[in-house]
Amino acid sequence: MIPDMAGKRDAAVLVAGLRMSFGGTEVLHGVDFDVRYGEVFCLLGPNGAGKTTTLEILEGFRPPTGGRVRVLGLDPVTQPARLRERAGMVLQECGFPRQARVAELLDLWRSYYPNPRPLGDLLEVVELTDVKNTQVRKLSGGQRRRLDFALALAGDPDLIFLDEPTTGFDPEARRRCWAAIENLRGLGKTILLTTHYLDEAERLADRIAILRAGRIELCGTTHEVATRAGLATRISFTTPSALRRGQVPLPDGIDLAVRGSESVCHTGNAAMTLRLLLAWAHEHRLGDLDGLAVTAPRLEDTYLQLTRDLP
Amino acid sequence: MTRTIRLAARQALLEQRSFWRSAEYALFTFAFPLMILLLIGAANVGSHLPGTHIKNTTVFVPGILAFSVIVAAYVNLGSKVAVLRHDGVLKRIRTTPLPSGAYLGGLLASTVVTAILITAATGLVGGLAFGAVPRAGESFALAGGLVLGTVCFASLGLAISSVITSAESAGPVTYASFLPIAIISGVFDPTFSGLPDWLSRLVAAFPVKALAEVLQNTYAVRPFPAWDLVNLGLWTAAGAAFAVWRFRWHG
Repeated sequence: MIPDMAGKRDAAVLVAGLRMSFGGTEVLHGVDFDVRYGEVFCLLGPNGAGKTTTLEILEGFRPPTGGRVRVLGLDPVTQPARLRERAGMVLQECGFPRQARVAELLDLWRSYYPNPRPLGDLLEVVELTDVKNTQVRKLSGGQRRRLDFALALAGDPDLIFLDEPTTGFDPEARRRCWAAIENLRGLGKTILLTTHYLDEAERLADRIAILRAGRIELCGTTHEVATRAGLATRISFTTPSALRRGQVPLPDGIDLAVRGSESVCHTGNAAMTLRLLLAWAHEHRLGDLDGLAVTAPRLEDTYLQLTRDLP
Repeated sequence: MTRTIRLAARQALLEQRSFWRSAEYALFTFAFPLMILLLIGAANVGSHLPGTHIKNTTVFVPGILAFSVIVAAYVNLGSKVAVLRHDGVLKRIRTTPLPSGAYLGGLLASTVVTAILITAATGLVGGLAFGAVPRAGESFALAGGLVLGTVCFASLGLAISSVITSAESAGPVTYASFLPIAIISGVFDPTFSGLPDWLSRLVAAFPVKALAEVLQNTYAVRPFPAWDLVNLGLWTAAGAAFAVWRFRWHG
């Protein structure tokens, strides 16, 4: 499933055959994926798919029932202390000491780590410089979330886990959280995030794994995931009048549908289809095909198709 | 080791700052014992314990000292830890490499500071308002009693925090679990008597009366409270064992 096996050798996160049971119920049925250094990797899936459980295992909060897990080359079960010095963790819901001030709390957190990031730098990355002397209880939800990020970044970690970073936020708060995550990426941090929002995965992730009912359904770049799901690229153009009047034969080897003023075809190989199409247009003096549009398969279509038949 | 102590000290500093920033909370923590001290104390001025020359206030003031220790160590620490657990602050601490000893040490150190301040205030006001002061040469015994009481009730506070299931019930559970015992232990009324035999024996088994008697012994001459010291030691051990057994980082 993962084409680039060379990348596995120095993966920041390596998950192989991961199984997890609670009581007698298995919730992860052999999960495999890897996260490369410096990339933003998104574990996408509906609620109850096992995203948080997977993350909790990687963070060393739960020992897995089976399979192999390495995070920054460490075993989260036996080396949690070393892992926590190098990995920042943003959990789904986690409280703050309410009466602490922003900068004061960050400074306290910095004291926990051997090589902390400078305070001013932390505040800037998450855009909280203006409220650094405000008590945490007076911050908005979005500001608290960004403070979560800053606390996770305090020890200057190599890897950051983000569990559903924007769930329940209004569009403006989401936008600012995304900006903060982009800033983290800009620092060269490896980021593993979970979400059930498609637009979030599409916007932030270099690679995506779709987790559904305890299994990885697909893994790859946004485009690869959509393509591998069997969805085709859509090519359309304005139907030339000669074609509409039947003066021109349909092109060979292309499943072209003439729908009145628009002609449409779906293809798994956009480049070859375009070449054929343009050669055909040239041959029949149809020009450059007005209104030519190539639409890449969308992640949303893949996702909806995969999750539609959920219980 | 020095790192752990340094981190614990920083944690304690943040806890103290937070405590004083929530002015209402801090005010009532201090006002509660002081109000009881002044109001009930005023009603006891001029009275003596039946059949003795011991002034009521001489016994009453150290009783309120015990009450102050319990508020600072048991109620405050117990409800604080329950709220921290419920809010997920303890869980967040677990995501960092901070040693758990440093974190809990910081919470305990802050509790000790609060206990020192509140007992100092109570002792001072008791001395100024009612002239109740420790017997000459008993200062060390008083300090020792306060330390023992703080340690005992802090361990019980940690223990009770584990059976509190929500942040909302933290205050009610901690207060309701000791106030009735404090009342029938005679902490608020030096002449309190007339309990059925079985009940007074039951009350004597709890650490509230034991701490009050240890402190009262440093104000007024009474039999050496050997049994009370054993009682406090046993409760400390039981509280600490339960706290360790039941401690959870997440709610």
